[in-house]
Amino acid sequence: MGLEFITRIIKTTAVVSLVVSLCISYYFDWKIGLGFLVGAAWSLVNLFFIRTLIKEVVSPNEARKSITAVLALLKFPLLYVAGYFIVASEFFSVYALLAGFSLLFAVIVLKVLGRLILGLDVPGVRNKQPEGTA
Amino acid sequence: MDFRFALALALPLAIGLAAIGSGMGLGRAVGQAMEAIGRQPEAAGKIQTAMIIGAAFIEALTIYALVAFFLLQGKIA
Repeated sequence: MGLEFITRIIKTTAVVSLVVSLCISYYFDWKIGLGFLVGAAWSLVNLFFIRTLIKEVVSPNEARKSITAVLALLKFPLLYVAGYFIVASEFFSVYALLAGFSLLFAVIVLKVLGRLILGLDVPGVRNKQPEGTA
Repeated sequence: MDFRFALALALPLAIGLAAIGSGMGLGRAVGQAMEAIGRQPEAAGKIQTAMIIGAAFIEALTIYALVAFFLLQGKIA
């Protein structure tokens, strides 16, 4: 379970949020669907920034200080000021925004549960051969 | 005590408490992860992934508090 796990989470959440928001737009209201999509995008951008920041800072090589500083400075205005305008505009349903925002965590929990149930992180389980087949 | 006055008093306190909790949680998580990477550099990838997921979960709580703050802020004025 390396950093590619985070990339898979981001991709899965993007696809799921798109499909769910299309379904919501079709069956309910396009504003609710759009709110769900914006909430999911907010959550995805947040995770992307966290991943990039931690990768840069924790890297065994010397951290690229300028990139790290720009990312740290961008993260807060982009996420929180944009979040303020999104919520304050009252264009989107707040519940849809929060549901979209929570989608990423549902994806993470389900993916980790799947890995636990399949035993993918237990050494030796993935490549274990049934007796007599090796 | 007026409803608006109570809200104006409680909102900054609540968001401040959320930020303090989140900051303490993040600091502790990242500190422990750094220690673990220092002890086992070969497991850095796995530790980083767990740390990123943990950080995202912790930060989400602050963002929920922030959204609640933005929502209730409109009721003060």
